[in-house]
Amino acid sequence: MFCLQFSSFTTPPIKNVEGKTVSSYTASGISVKSGSSSNPCAFTSTKSADSWLFCGWSSGGGALAAAERGKMSVAHLESSDVDGVDDRIRRISSTIRVIPDFPKPGIIFQDITTLLLDHQAFKDTIDLFVERYEGKNINVVAGVEARGFIFGPPIALAIGAKFVPLRKPKKLPGEVISEEYSLEYGTDIMEMHIGAVQPGENALVVDDLIATGGTLGAAIRLLERVGANVVECACVIELPELKGRERLADKPLFVLISS
Amino acid sequence: MEIFAEENGLKGDPRLRAIFETIRVVPHFPKPGIMFQDITPLFTNPEVFKHTVDIFVERYRDKGISVVAGVEARGFMFAPPIALAIGAKFVPLRKRGKLPGEVISEYYDLEYGKDCLEMHIDAVEKGDKAVVIDDLIATGGTLTAAIKLIERVGAEVIECACVIGVPAAMFQGQKRLNGRPIYMLVEPKDFEGS
Repeated sequence: MFCLQFSSFTTPPIKNVEGKTVSSYTASGISVKSGSSSNPCAFTSTKSADSWLFCGWSSGGGALAAAERGKMSVAHLESSDVDGVDDRIRRISSTIRVIPDFPKPGIIFQDITTLLLDHQAFKDTIDLFVERYEGKNINVVAGVEARGFIFGPPIALAIGAKFVPLRKPKKLPGEVISEEYSLEYGTDIMEMHIGAVQPGENALVVDDLIATGGTLGAAIRLLERVGANVVECACVIELPELKGRERLADKPLFVLISS
Repeated sequence: MEIFAEENGLKGDPRLRAIFETIRVVPHFPKPGIMFQDITPLFTNPEVFKHTVDIFVERYRDKGISVVAGVEARGFMFAPPIALAIGAKFVPLRKRGKLPGEVISEYYDLEYGKDCLEMHIDAVEKGDKAVVIDDLIATGGTLTAAIKLIERVGAEVIECACVIGVPAAMFQGQKRLNGRPIYMLVEPKDFEGS
């Protein structure tokens, strides 16, 4: 499911057109292609101040492959309850607090702690992920320390999967495997317990936000090293200009809000 | 008074046995002499994880609890599911410098030196009723700091709850933490092995 926010938009508003093929359009120089006649697309749009909010469903592999990487894409509508999804995304989005110059000058921090204070918004966040992943034979939800620990376990509990914490170095007791990854300056290490994940298990990686994709990339590598099948990465928020999608070894990414 | 679940209505509850069995003891972690109570195997057993959350939810639902606070990082794995189930806010209590907004800080003693716990100042309001969740209570230093943070903004801590609790003897005979009740599911496990 994608929810896209543009700062400017040049075509007329697009109403809910469930089941109807829509031709391509341009928004702020970003080209978005719809599906073919056999793959109807549907969107709803809402104008909020000077930005547009689009909501749609991504079917994952096929539809994403049809759109260019790094560009905004809206593909199949999988749910007929488009208005319900829109309302929930709108509420979730409104609860996220933006804090400038944290942790250092120039960074605009997306603070999800205010989302966690709104019980309905937090519940909706988890529900949106659970609706996507329940019944899909997901065996493992891996969550990245520390904010991935907030979203991962409720999803895991709801879909009957294991929860596996991916931690900073020396936090996990016992035998671990480690994966190094790049930061803006220097590197960091992520660890996972040996024996937590079995070969052939289907895994999701969950974190609150994807920026450069370095952390999620390391998580994917850890899981694949023990023979797991990483099905998708799931985040509440994406910062698309940082092109994190491109560091996920071609694994699909599912986000609720693109900021 | 300190309350173990078994003494408080859950005597013979098979879920407690299952939780106890799932905990793994790792000797000499993070340093020699410490027998570390590792709860991560609990998360890789979905049924036992669910039992753990259910026991806390049964205890705290319909009691007017408006805040479930979780202590970083292992408290983050238990507190949100409880908060979601009982309709409360989830409030993360974090190490220094992690929370991006305006915070209040509480310092507490370690064996050597001090550590710091922080809370967003606007997360908890006067009049909120809170429970604080962590995986384990040992000296009680972290949870005491958590209680102080919440009460500094005028809210009330109804109880602190942990999966694993060291018996009261460790609190110098005190059976409460900063005057607040403690609820624990199981005692620490002994290390069995070579």
